[in-house]
Amino acid sequence: MRQAWIAGRGLACTLGRDLAGSMAALAQGGVPARRFELPDGSAWPYQAIADDPATDEADWPLRARRLIQQVARESGALAGGREGALFIASSSLDMGLLETRLDLQRDYPHFAETVAAWLQWRGPVYTVSTACTSGLNALMSARTLLAHGVADEALVLGLELRNRVTVGGFGGMQLLSPTAALPFGAGRNGLVLGEAVAALALSPQPARWRIAGGANVVDGRDAAGSTESAVIAMCEQALAASGLQAHDIDLLKPQAAGGGASDAIEAQALHRVFSPLPPLVSLKAALGHTLGASGVAELALLTACLEGGAWPHSTHAPDPALQAPLATQAPSRVRHLLACILGFGGGHAAVVLEQTSS
Amino acid sequence: MNTLAQLTLDPLPADWQAALARRLGGRPRRLGAWAELALYGARLCLDAAGEAQLPAGVALRVASLSGPMAATRAIAQQARSGLPMPFSFMQSQPSQMLAALGQHLGWQGDARFIVCRDAALTRQLAELESGPAGLLLGWVEEDLRTQWWRLAPRASTASPTSART
Repeated sequence: MRQAWIAGRGLACTLGRDLAGSMAALAQGGVPARRFELPDGSAWPYQAIADDPATDEADWPLRARRLIQQVARESGALAGGREGALFIASSSLDMGLLETRLDLQRDYPHFAETVAAWLQWRGPVYTVSTACTSGLNALMSARTLLAHGVADEALVLGLELRNRVTVGGFGGMQLLSPTAALPFGAGRNGLVLGEAVAALALSPQPARWRIAGGANVVDGRDAAGSTESAVIAMCEQALAASGLQAHDIDLLKPQAAGGGASDAIEAQALHRVFSPLPPLVSLKAALGHTLGASGVAELALLTACLEGGAWPHSTHAPDPALQAPLATQAPSRVRHLLACILGFGGGHAAVVLEQTSS
Repeated sequence: MNTLAQLTLDPLPADWQAALARRLGGRPRRLGAWAELALYGARLCLDAAGEAQLPAGVALRVASLSGPMAATRAIAQQARSGLPMPFSFMQSQPSQMLAALGQHLGWQGDARFIVCRDAALTRQLAELESGPAGLLLGWVEEDLRTQWWRLAPRASTASPTSART
Protein backbone atom coordinates (compact mmCIF):
# COMPACT_ATOMS: atom_id res chain seq x y z
CA MET A 1 0.00 0.00 0.00
CA ARG A 2 1.10 3.55 -0.64
CA GLN A 3 2.05 6.05 2.02
CA ALA A 4 0.29 9.39 2.47
CA TRP A 5 2.24 12.60 2.95
CA ILE A 6 1.26 16.16 3.76
CA ALA A 7 1.91 17.98 0.52
CA GLY A 8 0.58 21.35 1.61
CA ARG A 9 -1.44 23.16 4.23
CA GLY A 10 -3.42 26.31 4.74
CA LEU A 11 -5.09 28.01 7.67
CA ALA A 12 -7.38 30.91 8.46
CA CYS A 13 -8.06 31.30 12.14
CA THR A 14 -8.27 33.87 14.91
CA LEU A 15 -4.50 34.37 14.66
CA GLY A 16 -4.59 35.35 11.00
CA ARG A 17 -6.10 34.69 7.62
CA ASP A 18 -3.12 32.64 6.42
CA LEU A 19 -0.41 30.49 7.99
CA ALA A 20 2.33 33.13 7.88
CA GLY A 21 0.11 35.65 9.64
CA SER A 22 -1.00 33.04 12.16
CA MET A 23 2.59 32.09 12.97
CA ALA A 24 3.54 35.74 13.42
CA ALA A 25 0.60 36.38 15.76
CA LEU A 26 1.38 33.22 17.72
CA ALA A 27 4.98 34.34 18.18
CA GLN A 28 3.62 37.63 19.59
CA GLY A 29 1.52 35.81 22.17
CA GLY A 30 -1.71 35.36 20.24
CA VAL A 31 -4.77 37.58 19.95
CA PRO A 32 -7.43 38.23 22.58
CA ALA A 33 -10.80 36.55 22.32
CA ARG A 34 -13.80 38.64 21.29
CA ARG A 35 -17.27 38.38 22.81
CA PHE A 36 -19.93 36.40 20.96
CA GLU A 37 -23.32 37.77 21.92
CA LEU A 38 -26.41 35.58 21.86
CA PRO A 39 -30.06 36.59 21.53
CA ASP A 40 -30.72 36.00 25.21
CA GLY A 41 -28.18 38.68 26.12
CA SER A 42 -25.45 36.30 27.22
CA ALA A 43 -21.96 36.62 25.73
CA TRP A 44 -19.02 34.25 25.61
CA PRO A 45 -15.35 34.59 24.74
CA TYR A 46 -14.87 33.54 21.12
CA GLN A 47 -11.75 33.27 18.97
CA ALA A 48 -13.16 34.70 15.75
CA ILE A 49 -11.47 35.08 12.39
CA ALA A 50 -10.99 38.82 11.94
CA ASP A 51 -13.16 40.27 9.21
CA ASP A 52 -11.51 41.81 6.18
CA PRO A 53 -12.37 45.53 6.53
CA ALA A 54 -12.14 46.02 2.77
CA THR A 55 -15.11 43.76 2.02
CA ASP A 56 -18.58 43.03 3.30
CA GLU A 57 -18.17 40.05 5.56
CA ALA A 58 -21.61 40.16 7.11
CA ASP A 59 -22.74 37.98 4.21
CA TRP A 60 -22.09 34.46 5.57
CA PRO A 61 -21.73 32.54 2.28
CA LEU A 62 -19.60 35.26 0.71
CA ARG A 63 -17.24 35.24 3.69
CA ALA A 64 -17.15 31.43 3.79
CA ARG A 65 -16.41 31.23 0.09
CA ARG A 66 -13.59 33.76 0.31
CA LEU A 67 -11.96 32.06 3.30
CA ILE A 68 -12.27 28.56 1.87
CA GLN A 69 -10.87 29.52 -1.52
CA GLN A 70 -7.95 31.34 0.07
CA VAL A 71 -7.07 28.46 2.42
CA ALA A 72 -7.40 25.81 -0.29
CA ARG A 73 -5.19 27.91 -2.55
CA GLU A 74 -2.61 28.31 0.24
CA SER A 75 -2.45 24.52 0.61
CA GLY A 76 -1.40 24.16 -3.02
CA ALA A 77 -4.22 21.72 -3.73
CA LEU A 78 -5.78 23.93 -6.39
CA ALA A 79 -2.65 23.83 -8.52
CA GLY A 80 -3.33 20.23 -9.51
CA GLY A 81 -6.11 18.63 -11.49
CA ARG A 82 -8.61 18.82 -8.62
CA GLU A 83 -9.74 15.30 -9.45
CA GLY A 84 -8.78 13.62 -6.19
CA ALA A 85 -10.96 13.20 -3.14
CA LEU A 86 -12.27 16.25 -1.28
CA PHE A 87 -13.20 15.79 2.37
CA ILE A 88 -15.25 18.40 4.20
CA ALA A 89 -14.95 17.97 7.96
CA SER A 90 -17.25 20.03 10.14
CA SER A 91 -19.69 19.85 13.01
CA SER A 92 -21.73 22.88 11.93
CA LEU A 93 -21.34 22.92 8.12
CA ASP A 94 -23.36 25.94 6.89
CA MET A 95 -25.40 26.45 10.05
CA GLY A 96 -24.47 30.14 10.00
CA LEU A 97 -26.42 30.43 6.77
CA LEU A 98 -29.30 28.15 7.75
CA GLU A 99 -30.04 30.00 10.97
CA THR A 100 -30.41 33.31 9.15
CA ARG A 101 -32.18 32.23 5.96
CA LEU A 102 -33.95 29.09 7.20
CA ASP A 103 -33.32 27.47 3.83
CA LEU A 104 -33.87 23.95 5.13
CA GLN A 105 -34.77 22.13 1.94
CA ARG A 106 -31.19 21.20 1.10
CA ASP A 107 -29.82 17.80 2.05
CA TYR A 108 -26.79 16.91 4.14
CA PRO A 109 -24.09 16.70 1.42
CA HIS A 110 -25.25 19.94 -0.20
CA PHE A 111 -22.82 22.25 1.58
CA ALA A 112 -19.78 20.07 0.79
CA GLU A 113 -20.83 20.04 -2.85
CA THR A 114 -21.20 23.82 -2.75
CA VAL A 115 -17.65 24.08 -1.44
CA ALA A 116 -16.49 21.78 -4.24
CA ALA A 117 -18.15 24.07 -6.78
CA TRP A 118 -16.45 27.11 -5.22
CA LEU A 119 -13.12 25.33 -5.66
CA GLN A 120 -14.00 23.95 -9.10
CA TRP A 121 -13.19 20.54 -7.65
CA ARG A 122 -14.03 17.68 -9.99
CA GLY A 123 -13.32 14.66 -7.80
CA PRO A 124 -15.63 12.91 -5.33
CA VAL A 125 -16.78 14.89 -2.30
CA TYR A 126 -17.19 13.38 1.16
CA THR A 127 -18.81 14.99 4.21
CA VAL A 128 -17.42 13.85 7.55
CA SER A 129 -19.30 14.88 10.67
CA THR A 130 -18.21 13.26 13.90
CA ALA A 131 -18.20 16.46 15.97
CA CYS A 132 -14.76 17.48 17.24
CA THR A 133 -13.03 14.45 15.72
CA SER A 134 -14.31 15.23 12.20
CA GLY A 135 -10.99 16.62 10.95
CA LEU A 136 -8.81 13.76 12.11
CA ASN A 137 -11.32 11.18 10.89
CA ALA A 138 -11.40 12.86 7.49
CA LEU A 139 -7.61 12.84 7.42
CA MET A 140 -7.56 9.11 8.14
CA SER A 141 -10.16 8.39 5.47
CA ALA A 142 -8.26 10.47 2.92
CA ARG A 143 -5.15 8.48 3.79
CA THR A 144 -7.11 5.27 3.20
CA LEU A 145 -8.06 6.31 -0.33
CA LEU A 146 -4.47 7.25 -1.15
CA ALA A 147 -3.05 4.09 0.40
CA HIS A 148 -5.30 1.86 -1.71
CA GLY A 149 -4.69 3.81 -4.89
CA VAL A 150 -8.31 4.95 -5.13
CA ALA A 151 -7.19 8.59 -5.20
CA ASP A 152 -3.91 10.17 -6.26
CA GLU A 153 -4.48 13.32 -4.26
CA ALA A 154 -6.80 14.44 -1.50
CA LEU A 155 -7.74 17.70 0.11
CA VAL A 156 -9.04 17.68 3.66
CA LEU A 157 -10.82 20.87 4.68
CA GLY A 158 -11.76 21.47 8.28
CA LEU A 159 -14.46 24.13 8.52
CA GLU A 160 -16.00 25.72 11.56
CA LEU A 161 -17.49 29.13 10.91
CA ARG A 162 -19.45 31.47 13.15
CA ASN A 163 -23.01 30.61 14.04
CA ARG A 164 -25.28 31.15 17.03
CA VAL A 165 -26.40 27.53 17.26
CA THR A 166 -22.98 26.18 18.18
CA VAL A 167 -22.16 28.84 20.75
CA GLY A 168 -25.68 28.66 22.18
CA GLY A 169 -25.65 24.88 22.21
CA PHE A 170 -22.38 24.60 24.08
CA GLY A 171 -23.39 27.47 26.35
CA GLY A 172 -26.66 25.74 27.13
CA MET A 173 -24.78 22.62 28.12
CA GLN A 174 -22.62 24.71 30.47
CA LEU A 175 -19.41 23.68 28.72
CA LEU A 176 -18.09 27.17 27.94
CA SER A 177 -15.66 29.25 29.98
CA PRO A 178 -16.82 32.77 30.83
CA THR A 179 -13.20 33.90 30.96
CA ALA A 180 -10.47 32.03 29.04
CA ALA A 181 -9.31 28.60 27.94
CA LEU A 182 -6.68 27.17 30.30
CA PRO A 183 -5.58 23.83 28.80
CA PHE A 184 -4.43 21.48 31.57
CA GLY A 185 -4.35 24.62 33.71
CA ALA A 186 -5.12 25.43 37.33
CA GLY A 187 -8.54 27.02 37.64
CA ARG A 188 -9.68 25.91 34.20
CA ASN A 189 -13.42 26.37 33.80
CA GLY A 190 -14.46 25.36 30.31
CA LEU A 191 -13.96 25.72 26.58
CA VAL A 192 -13.54 28.80 24.44
CA LEU A 193 -14.82 28.15 20.94
CA GLY A 194 -13.14 29.43 17.82
CA GLU A 195 -13.49 29.69 14.06
CA ALA A 196 -11.14 28.04 11.59
CA VAL A 197 -10.85 27.09 7.97
CA ALA A 198 -7.94 24.68 7.63
CA ALA A 199 -6.56 22.57 4.82
CA LEU A 200 -4.22 19.63 4.55
CA ALA A 201 -3.39 18.45 1.05
CA LEU A 202 -2.30 14.81 0.87
CA SER A 203 -0.20 13.09 -1.75
CA PRO A 204 1.49 9.73 -2.26
CA GLN A 205 4.64 11.65 -3.17
CA PRO A 206 7.16 11.86 -0.31
CA ALA A 207 7.28 15.14 1.59
CA ARG A 208 8.40 16.28 5.02
CA TRP A 209 5.51 14.85 7.07
CA ARG A 210 4.18 11.32 6.65
CA ILE A 211 0.90 10.18 8.19
CA ALA A 212 2.23 7.14 10.01
CA GLY A 213 -1.08 5.91 11.43
CA GLY A 214 -4.08 6.75 13.52
CA ALA A 215 -7.08 5.48 15.40
CA ASN A 216 -10.68 6.40 16.10
CA VAL A 217 -12.51 5.06 19.13
CA VAL A 218 -16.12 5.90 19.92
CA ASP A 219 -17.38 5.09 23.39
CA GLY A 220 -21.02 5.92 23.99
CA ARG A 221 -20.95 5.64 27.78
CA ASP A 222 -20.47 9.41 28.06
CA ALA A 223 -22.07 11.05 25.06
CA ALA A 224 -20.82 14.49 26.10
CA GLY A 225 -17.20 13.67 26.85
CA SER A 226 -14.30 11.29 27.00
CA THR A 227 -13.65 8.13 28.98
CA GLU A 228 -10.30 6.98 30.30
CA SER A 229 -10.41 3.51 28.75
CA ALA A 230 -11.24 4.96 25.34
CA VAL A 231 -8.35 7.46 25.53
CA ILE A 232 -6.01 4.58 26.36
CA ALA A 233 -7.42 2.43 23.54
CA MET A 234 -7.09 5.33 21.11
CA CYS A 235 -3.42 5.90 21.98
CA GLU A 236 -2.54 2.22 21.91
CA GLN A 237 -4.29 1.63 18.60
CA ALA A 238 -2.71 4.71 17.01
CA LEU A 239 0.74 3.59 18.14
CA ALA A 240 0.16 0.04 16.90
CA ALA A 241 -1.12 1.28 13.54
CA SER A 242 2.05 3.35 13.23
CA GLY A 243 4.36 0.51 14.24
CA LEU A 244 5.56 2.50 17.25
CA GLN A 245 5.92 2.22 21.01
CA ALA A 246 4.95 4.92 23.48
CA HIS A 247 8.59 5.95 23.99
CA ASP A 248 8.89 6.71 20.26
CA ILE A 249 6.62 9.75 20.58
CA ASP A 250 8.67 12.94 20.82
CA LEU A 251 5.77 15.40 21.11
CA LEU A 252 2.16 14.93 22.19
CA LYS A 253 -0.67 17.32 21.38
CA PRO A 254 -3.54 16.35 23.67
CA GLN A 255 -7.11 17.57 23.35
CA ALA A 256 -6.64 19.70 26.52
CA ALA A 257 -9.59 21.96 25.78
CA GLY A 258 -9.76 23.37 29.30
CA GLY A 259 -12.67 21.43 30.74
CA GLY A 260 -12.44 20.66 34.44
CA ALA A 261 -13.26 16.97 34.33
CA SER A 262 -12.37 16.22 30.72
CA ASP A 263 -8.78 17.48 31.01
CA ALA A 264 -8.33 15.43 34.19
CA ILE A 265 -9.64 12.24 32.55
CA GLU A 266 -7.40 12.77 29.54
CA ALA A 267 -4.27 13.48 31.60
CA GLN A 268 -4.88 10.45 33.78
CA ALA A 269 -5.24 8.22 30.72
CA LEU A 270 -2.13 9.65 29.06
CA HIS A 271 -0.11 8.86 32.19
CA ARG A 272 -1.28 5.24 31.87
CA VAL A 273 0.07 5.05 28.30
CA PHE A 274 3.17 7.25 28.49
CA SER A 275 5.65 6.96 31.35
CA PRO A 276 7.04 9.56 31.45
CA LEU A 277 4.84 11.86 29.38
CA PRO A 278 6.55 13.21 26.27
CA PRO A 279 6.66 17.02 25.89
CA LEU A 280 3.12 18.39 25.60
CA VAL A 281 1.83 21.20 23.43
CA SER A 282 -1.62 22.78 23.25
CA LEU A 283 -2.95 25.26 20.73
CA LYS A 284 -6.42 25.63 22.26
CA ALA A 285 -5.59 28.84 24.12
CA ALA A 286 -4.36 30.39 20.89
CA LEU A 287 -6.96 29.07 18.42
CA GLY A 288 -9.93 28.36 20.65
CA HIS A 289 -11.60 24.99 20.27
CA THR A 290 -12.41 24.90 16.57
CA LEU A 291 -14.50 21.72 16.92
CA GLY A 292 -14.74 19.77 13.65
CA ALA A 293 -11.90 21.80 12.16
CA SER A 294 -9.61 21.42 15.14
CA GLY A 295 -7.70 18.33 14.05
CA VAL A 296 -6.79 19.85 10.70
CA ALA A 297 -6.23 23.37 12.05
CA GLU A 298 -4.01 22.27 14.91
CA LEU A 299 -1.90 19.97 12.72
CA ALA A 300 -1.48 22.67 10.08
CA LEU A 301 -0.31 25.18 12.68
CA LEU A 302 1.77 22.75 14.73
CA THR A 303 3.76 21.39 11.79
CA ALA A 304 4.34 24.96 10.60
CA CYS A 305 5.52 25.90 14.10
CA LEU A 306 7.95 23.00 14.21
CA GLU A 307 9.36 23.97 10.84
CA GLY A 308 9.41 27.70 11.48
CA GLY A 309 10.56 27.85 15.07
CA ALA A 310 7.43 29.48 16.51
CA TRP A 311 5.94 28.07 19.69
CA PRO A 312 2.71 28.84 21.58
CA HIS A 313 3.17 30.87 24.74
CA SER A 314 1.54 29.23 27.72
CA THR A 315 1.09 31.95 30.31
CA HIS A 316 -1.32 30.18 32.65
CA ALA A 317 -0.27 28.08 35.61
CA PRO A 318 -0.45 24.33 35.11
CA ASP A 319 -2.73 22.25 37.32
CA PRO A 320 -0.30 20.46 39.64
CA ALA A 321 -2.78 17.63 40.15
CA LEU A 322 -2.51 16.64 36.50
CA GLN A 323 1.29 16.51 36.40
CA ALA A 324 1.04 17.47 32.75
CA PRO A 325 2.74 20.83 32.21
CA LEU A 326 2.89 22.21 28.68
CA ALA A 327 6.33 22.51 27.09
CA THR A 328 7.67 26.06 27.10
CA GLN A 329 9.67 25.53 23.93
CA ALA A 330 9.78 23.12 21.05
CA PRO A 331 11.62 19.85 21.63
CA SER A 332 15.03 19.85 20.00
CA ARG A 333 14.07 16.87 17.87
CA VAL A 334 10.62 15.75 16.79
CA ARG A 335 10.46 12.70 14.62
CA HIS A 336 7.06 11.40 15.75
CA LEU A 337 4.20 13.50 17.06
CA LEU A 338 0.88 12.21 18.30
CA ALA A 339 -2.11 14.54 17.93
CA CYS A 340 -5.33 13.76 19.83
CA ILE A 341 -8.81 15.17 19.52
CA LEU A 342 -11.53 14.09 21.94
CA GLY A 343 -15.07 15.16 21.51
CA PHE A 344 -18.72 15.47 21.97
CA GLY A 345 -20.39 12.13 21.26
CA GLY A 346 -17.76 9.98 22.88
CA GLY A 347 -15.30 10.41 20.00
CA HIS A 348 -11.59 9.85 20.57
CA ALA A 349 -9.26 10.21 17.56
CA ALA A 350 -5.49 10.35 17.21
CA VAL A 351 -3.05 10.63 14.34
CA VAL A 352 0.71 10.01 14.34
CA LEU A 353 2.86 12.12 12.04
CA GLU A 354 6.44 11.26 11.20
CA GLN A 355 8.88 14.01 10.26
CA THR A 356 11.22 12.50 7.73
CA SER A 357 13.53 15.49 7.26
CA SER A 358 14.29 18.63 9.18
CA MET B 1 -16.59 -8.98 1.74
CA ASN B 2 -19.15 -11.57 2.75
CA THR B 3 -22.64 -10.42 3.61
CA LEU B 4 -23.67 -11.89 6.97
CA ALA B 5 -26.98 -10.02 7.01
CA GLN B 6 -28.77 -7.33 5.05
CA LEU B 7 -31.79 -5.34 6.13
CA THR B 8 -34.02 -2.98 4.17
CA LEU B 9 -36.93 -1.06 5.71
CA ASP B 10 -38.57 0.80 2.85
CA PRO B 11 -41.11 2.07 3.60
CA LEU B 12 -40.74 2.16 7.34
CA PRO B 13 -43.25 0.15 9.35
CA ALA B 14 -45.80 2.46 10.94
CA ASP B 15 -45.00 1.19 14.42
CA TRP B 16 -41.23 1.05 14.17
CA GLN B 17 -40.59 3.24 17.22
CA ALA B 18 -42.82 1.03 19.35
CA ALA B 19 -41.05 -2.03 17.95
CA LEU B 20 -37.68 -0.51 18.87
CA ALA B 21 -38.87 0.15 22.41
CA ARG B 22 -40.05 -3.47 22.68
CA ARG B 23 -36.76 -4.79 21.34
CA LEU B 24 -34.69 -2.68 23.76
CA GLY B 25 -37.03 -3.08 26.70
CA GLY B 26 -37.85 0.63 26.75
CA ARG B 27 -37.68 3.70 24.56
CA PRO B 28 -34.13 5.04 24.33
CA ARG B 29 -33.76 8.36 26.13
CA ARG B 30 -32.87 11.71 24.60
CA LEU B 31 -32.46 10.48 21.03
CA GLY B 32 -33.96 12.20 18.02
CA ALA B 33 -35.98 10.31 15.42
CA TRP B 34 -33.00 9.96 13.09
CA ALA B 35 -30.78 8.33 15.73
CA GLU B 36 -33.67 6.11 16.83
CA LEU B 37 -34.11 4.92 13.27
CA ALA B 38 -30.39 4.20 12.99
CA LEU B 39 -30.55 2.21 16.19
CA TYR B 40 -33.61 0.29 15.01
CA GLY B 41 -32.03 -0.67 11.70
CA ALA B 42 -28.68 -1.60 13.24
CA ARG B 43 -30.34 -3.70 15.93
CA LEU B 44 -32.49 -5.62 13.45
CA CYS B 45 -29.51 -6.18 11.15
CA LEU B 46 -27.47 -7.63 13.99
CA ASP B 47 -30.43 -9.79 15.00
CA ALA B 48 -30.54 -11.11 11.45
CA ALA B 49 -26.82 -11.87 11.66
CA GLY B 50 -27.37 -13.72 14.95
CA GLU B 51 -25.26 -11.24 16.92
CA ALA B 52 -26.47 -10.07 20.32
CA GLN B 53 -23.85 -7.32 20.37
CA LEU B 54 -21.74 -5.64 17.76
CA PRO B 55 -18.47 -7.60 17.92
CA ALA B 56 -15.23 -5.87 18.81
CA GLY B 57 -13.13 -5.24 15.73
CA VAL B 58 -16.08 -4.30 13.55
CA ALA B 59 -16.01 -0.83 11.98
CA LEU B 60 -19.29 1.09 12.08
CA ARG B 61 -20.16 3.48 9.26
CA VAL B 62 -23.38 5.43 8.87
CA ALA B 63 -24.34 7.58 5.89
CA SER B 64 -27.38 9.67 5.07
CA LEU B 65 -28.61 12.28 2.67
CA SER B 66 -31.22 13.62 5.08
CA GLY B 67 -29.07 13.67 8.21
CA PRO B 68 -30.80 14.53 11.49
CA MET B 69 -33.28 16.70 9.60
CA ALA B 70 -35.90 17.46 12.26
CA ALA B 71 -33.35 18.38 14.91
CA THR B 72 -31.42 20.59 12.49
CA ARG B 73 -34.60 22.44 11.57
CA ALA B 74 -35.50 22.83 15.21
CA ILE B 75 -32.19 24.35 16.27
CA ALA B 76 -32.03 26.66 13.27
CA GLN B 77 -35.46 28.03 14.17
CA GLN B 78 -34.70 28.17 17.88
CA ALA B 79 -31.52 30.16 17.20
CA ARG B 80 -33.48 32.87 15.39
CA SER B 81 -35.57 33.67 18.40
CA GLY B 82 -33.40 32.62 21.30
CA LEU B 83 -31.08 29.81 22.25
CA PRO B 84 -31.13 26.26 20.91
CA MET B 85 -32.39 23.73 23.40
CA PRO B 86 -29.51 21.54 24.60
CA PHE B 87 -31.18 18.26 23.63
CA SER B 88 -32.14 19.60 20.21
CA PHE B 89 -28.56 20.72 19.72
CA MET B 90 -27.21 17.30 20.69
CA GLN B 91 -29.69 15.54 18.45
CA SER B 92 -28.53 17.62 15.48
CA GLN B 93 -25.05 16.08 15.74
CA PRO B 94 -24.44 12.73 13.98
CA SER B 95 -21.87 11.96 16.66
CA GLN B 96 -24.69 11.53 19.16
CA MET B 97 -26.21 8.84 16.95
CA LEU B 98 -22.86 7.03 16.83
CA ALA B 99 -22.59 7.22 20.61
CA ALA B 100 -26.09 5.81 20.98
CA LEU B 101 -25.31 2.90 18.68
CA GLY B 102 -22.16 2.13 20.65
CA GLN B 103 -24.02 2.28 23.93
CA HIS B 104 -26.98 0.14 22.91
CA LEU B 105 -24.98 -2.37 20.87
CA GLY B 106 -22.50 -2.97 23.70
CA TRP B 107 -19.57 -1.83 21.64
CA GLN B 108 -16.55 0.50 21.62
CA GLY B 109 -14.70 1.10 18.35
CA ASP B 110 -14.21 2.97 15.10
CA ALA B 111 -17.52 4.65 14.23
CA ARG B 112 -17.89 7.43 11.69
CA PHE B 113 -20.57 9.35 9.84
CA ILE B 114 -19.22 9.81 6.31
CA VAL B 115 -21.35 10.40 3.26
CA CYS B 116 -20.69 10.85 -0.45
CA ARG B 117 -23.74 11.32 -2.65
CA ASP B 118 -22.50 8.42 -4.75
CA ALA B 119 -23.54 5.45 -2.60
CA ALA B 120 -21.02 3.18 -4.28
CA LEU B 121 -18.16 5.47 -3.23
CA THR B 122 -19.50 5.64 0.30
CA ARG B 123 -19.55 1.87 0.45
CA GLN B 124 -16.12 1.56 -1.15
CA LEU B 125 -14.53 3.75 1.52
CA ALA B 126 -16.38 1.93 4.29
CA GLU B 127 -15.17 -1.46 3.06
CA LEU B 128 -11.59 -0.22 2.76
CA GLU B 129 -11.79 0.86 6.40
CA SER B 130 -13.50 -2.27 7.70
CA GLY B 131 -12.05 -3.75 10.87
CA PRO B 132 -10.62 -7.23 11.45
CA ALA B 133 -14.13 -8.47 12.28
CA GLY B 134 -15.74 -6.65 9.37
CA LEU B 135 -18.17 -3.81 8.94
CA LEU B 136 -21.63 -2.64 9.93
CA LEU B 137 -22.80 -0.12 7.34
CA GLY B 138 -26.08 1.74 7.39
CA TRP B 139 -27.95 4.34 5.36
CA VAL B 140 -30.54 6.19 7.42
CA GLU B 141 -33.03 8.57 5.83
CA GLU B 142 -35.22 10.21 8.43
CA ASP B 143 -38.95 9.47 8.07
CA LEU B 144 -38.31 7.49 4.86
CA ARG B 145 -36.17 4.37 4.91
CA THR B 146 -33.11 2.64 6.28
CA GLN B 147 -30.81 -0.03 4.90
CA TRP B 148 -28.08 -1.96 6.71
CA TRP B 149 -25.38 -4.49 5.90
CA ARG B 150 -23.33 -6.61 8.28
CA LEU B 151 -20.27 -7.58 6.29
CA ALA B 152 -17.41 -9.87 7.28
CA PRO B 153 -13.94 -10.38 5.83
CA ARG B 154 -13.86 -12.89 3.01
CA ALA B 155 -12.41 -15.67 5.17
CA SER B 156 -15.73 -15.93 7.02
CA THR B 157 -17.97 -18.75 5.82
CA ALA B 158 -21.26 -17.71 7.37
CA SER B 159 -24.24 -17.76 5.01
CA PRO B 160 -26.08 -14.50 4.40
CA THR B 161 -29.42 -13.64 5.93
CA SER B 162 -31.65 -11.10 4.31
CA ALA B 163 -34.65 -9.27 5.71
CA ARG B 164 -36.97 -6.85 4.01
CA THR B 165 -40.21 -5.26 5.01
